[in-house]
Amino acid sequence: MAETDLDGSGHDTHQHAGTAPMVEEVTDFEVLEIALRELAIEKGLFTAEDHRRYTEHVEQLEPAAGSRFVAKAWVDPDFRRLALDDAIAASQEMGIDWLHPTGFGTPSDFTAFELLEDTPTLHHVIVCTLCSCYPRPMLGMSPEWYRTPNYRRRIVRWPRQVLAEFGLYLSEDVEVRVEDSNSKHRFMVLPVRPDGTEGWSEEQLAEIVTRDCLIGVALPKPGVTSNATRPLHPAIRPVTSD
Amino acid sequence: MGNSVMGDLSSQMRAALHRVQDWAYPDQIDHETYQAYMKTPHDVGGEPDAPALFEDKEEEQWELNTFVTCEVLGWRGIWTSEERRRIGNVDLGRTNYLGLPYYGRWLWAIARVLVDKRHITLGELIERVSEVRDRHAGGTGGPIDAAPRTTGDIEAVARNRHHLDAVGKGDPQCFAGTAGTPGFAVGDAVSVRELPTIFYTRTQEYLRGASGTVVKVSYESLAPEDEAFDREDQESEWFYIVRFRLADLWEAYTGCANDTLQAEISERWLRPAV
Repeated sequence: MAETDLDGSGHDTHQHAGTAPMVEEVTDFEVLEIALRELAIEKGLFTAEDHRRYTEHVEQLEPAAGSRFVAKAWVDPDFRRLALDDAIAASQEMGIDWLHPTGFGTPSDFTAFELLEDTPTLHHVIVCTLCSCYPRPMLGMSPEWYRTPNYRRRIVRWPRQVLAEFGLYLSEDVEVRVEDSNSKHRFMVLPVRPDGTEGWSEEQLAEIVTRDCLIGVALPKPGVTSNATRPLHPAIRPVTSD
Repeated sequence: MGNSVMGDLSSQMRAALHRVQDWAYPDQIDHETYQAYMKTPHDVGGEPDAPALFEDKEEEQWELNTFVTCEVLGWRGIWTSEERRRIGNVDLGRTNYLGLPYYGRWLWAIARVLVDKRHITLGELIERVSEVRDRHAGGTGGPIDAAPRTTGDIEAVARNRHHLDAVGKGDPQCFAGTAGTPGFAVGDAVSVRELPTIFYTRTQEYLRGASGTVVKVSYESLAPEDEAFDREDQESEWFYIVRFRLADLWEAYTGCANDTLQAEISERWLRPAV
């Protein structure tokens, strides 16, 4: 069993010696996944082509869309108004159609999207205490920690302590507002544009709007263009893009 | 261990009450114990837990395949995502909920729904799992993939209405105009009803009995209690985003007095504040 790589440096714990591919035992999960997919296709529940098309849809999702969305809202007052009023229409304007790829949206994400506007005295943070609801069409797949019972248990009761563990210390004059995304709405945080970004282009601004800022566990900061480095638990057979 | 800082066994040695007699007699289960057994395992908000190291995880190929299969089953009208959540987050029980990997439960839900809805027999699944295992008995030697033997008759499969009704509209937009006049308006003070938990809900235990203010009249939709059981025959209802003071939700809340929490709740769970 692979151990978590505490340095966050990647595959070190799982490198194969030599050039010959290591023969590994198939896991119970892989066996069950293959058996179910084969049976579903053989029974006509869906086609292999459906599965391939949906995989392609998932693989092109990335948090960069959310970063661009926020940067545009920072520089364009009309877009900001539209984004706060009808975030689905605003998404459409920047090329993200929430009805994709099925014609009625992604089955698990629904098509109700709302932006949570931070102010100097209000900070939003998002959780789904019941599962892991997350705006995939805008941000892609959720990070592992967001799905854990630990985050879900504690952020709704000890939000300031949990945010501090992420390195975010909020003063008493800032109201913390936890959004428990427990039904069909999906949420994304619109952070306050930080000082020191005057005159920046939309592209420059988008770079400091990391995924963690869009969930509300970090604040955008000039010079910080990636999420905090966390330990990475490696996969046995990671997703291959071919 | 799923979380490296949680792997310290000596800190986790703890006393537990293991009764020699399994299956307590009815008179030995009081209301509080009954509620503890009936609590849906997905509803973890507010449960005490220690600070953890928040980790990232590389995705396994089977995990992506599992996610996609679940979504495609929704796309093609075999289930709604709420049925998946009920089966994979609640029906499997607390031990498996907390013990299996995240996508291990999604996978469990696929197996369960295919058998329950009579798309496959359990015998077929057992034989196929055994056959796939034999196929890879000598090791994987690289990527492995599904190899369906045939292509089924798409037309012959029973599917829900939702996957057709929602096309071009989206969900919850496909329920617009079906629930009449909303019972509450923005600014209304409301209380969350203390209804019993039986099998499934998305109204968190930590909100039951609490009072808050409606901040958004959200949309109309089937309630999760219906949607999770494929009850397309049921009436939709209004949903509301309600804002609560955190100090009203938790005894001895340790944050600031004006900290708040919002959740989206269906009309059946709300009453005018008492």
